[in-house]
Amino acid sequence: MRALSKFAFQLGAQFSLNTEFIVNKAGRYFLLNETLMKVARKDFYYAGTYLGKGKNGKFFPSFNLLMMLAKGEANKIVVERKTAWLFICGRDIFRKGILAVHGSRKKGDHTLVLNEFGDCLGFGKIVCSFGEAAKKTEVAVKNISDVGDFLRREA
Amino acid sequence: MSGKEFFVGRYERLGWKFEDAKPRQAIRLNVTNIKRKNLEERLEAIGVQLEKIPFLEMGYWVRRSEVSVGATAEYLLGSYSIQEAAAQIPATLFANLKGRTVLDACAAPGGKTVQLADLMGNTGILVALDVNKRRLAALSNHLERCHVSNAIVYHFDARQVSQLKLKFNRILLDAPCSGNFAADNDWFKRRTITDIKRNAKLQREILVQAAACLSDDGEIVYSTCSLEPEENEVNMDWAVRHLNLQIEEVDCYGQKGLTEVFGSRLDVSVKRCRRIWPSETQGFFMCKFKKRGKKR
Repeated sequence: MRALSKFAFQLGAQFSLNTEFIVNKAGRYFLLNETLMKVARKDFYYAGTYLGKGKNGKFFPSFNLLMMLAKGEANKIVVERKTAWLFICGRDIFRKGILAVHGSRKKGDHTLVLNEFGDCLGFGKIVCSFGEAAKKTEVAVKNISDVGDFLRREA
Repeated sequence: MSGKEFFVGRYERLGWKFEDAKPRQAIRLNVTNIKRKNLEERLEAIGVQLEKIPFLEMGYWVRRSEVSVGATAEYLLGSYSIQEAAAQIPATLFANLKGRTVLDACAAPGGKTVQLADLMGNTGILVALDVNKRRLAALSNHLERCHVSNAIVYHFDARQVSQLKLKFNRILLDAPCSGNFAADNDWFKRRTITDIKRNAKLQREILVQAAACLSDDGEIVYSTCSLEPEENEVNMDWAVRHLNLQIEEVDCYGQKGLTEVFGSRLDVSVKRCRRIWPSETQGFFMCKFKKRGKKR
């Protein structure tokens, strides 16, 4: 579970899930509820809410986990419509596409990326200052993972 | 015994005059994830024109779209699924799914599994099985994309469901079938009567196991996208005669099930099934069972 807590910490979020209900299945983490816990056999392929997977010391979060973290206190940016579209196509985010910043503005920190409706589209790494003085055409958040991944996985 | 002429001849003997069909693209609102009005507005804003499907509460035809409906943010966020209209019907035939223990016996790629989870409001237990491990990856993606949280997926042949030692209140048996020409351009070239008989046998084997793990007040919905009566009405007739099941009336789109097939008379209750010949939708067949003697 350390991998999950560490990941949440990088996003300025608190990891508050009940670890009793988290099942690690060969590096893939699932959050089950009490009802599912009672009936799920050990040989399940997928169960409850998929949280992400750990591989070679790195943690790859699921979009469900990102969405959960986005509901609470965390580093978040809200981006305008065209930027949101480009982000889910795998592109980085320019300063000019950011409508609001919540939490950290520090270079090197991770931040969740939300669209104008508050949907979490993925997350990225802050690569330059968010200050007013920053060039608006500069890449501000580098894309690490976005929901467009669902399409890329099946390609 | 194969080829277009052979199968078209069979359909005519069953009372349907063959016509080429191109099913319309359809989507289904995942109401657990978004409000109807919000989805309609958001899709309209990006150039997707929808038309409500009259026989489906959550279904829409895609009338026109400036973007691929399989690549919008709303799709990727699980607000809707792309699901053929006729295929949206079976899951809606169950009475009250919330809080129940539900089995999706042949689940991959997961369109109906997600629909069941949506109808269950992510409550209860949804067990999804599929025998093909590669297809489980697609199923898992679908569950993650649509934020399903009440499912347990097993790599399992539905004929081994008794190993789970669970009784199910609702069982969706969307059986492996021969498919139909409206969903597969090469269907007539590919299929023979031998395929159909083999599938019909497999379907019976799964039905036997499904019936064995149905709770006393349970319901089974059996469906296929096959037009062949051996996989549909004839199998339902067999189930009524050999399993402790009775066919229930359903109120949904489609024609009554056939009770006379190539000269054989079937149980009169088979007419309660629904058969859809291809037109705006693909071909489809549905039947709802309860245990014999159990009235709601």
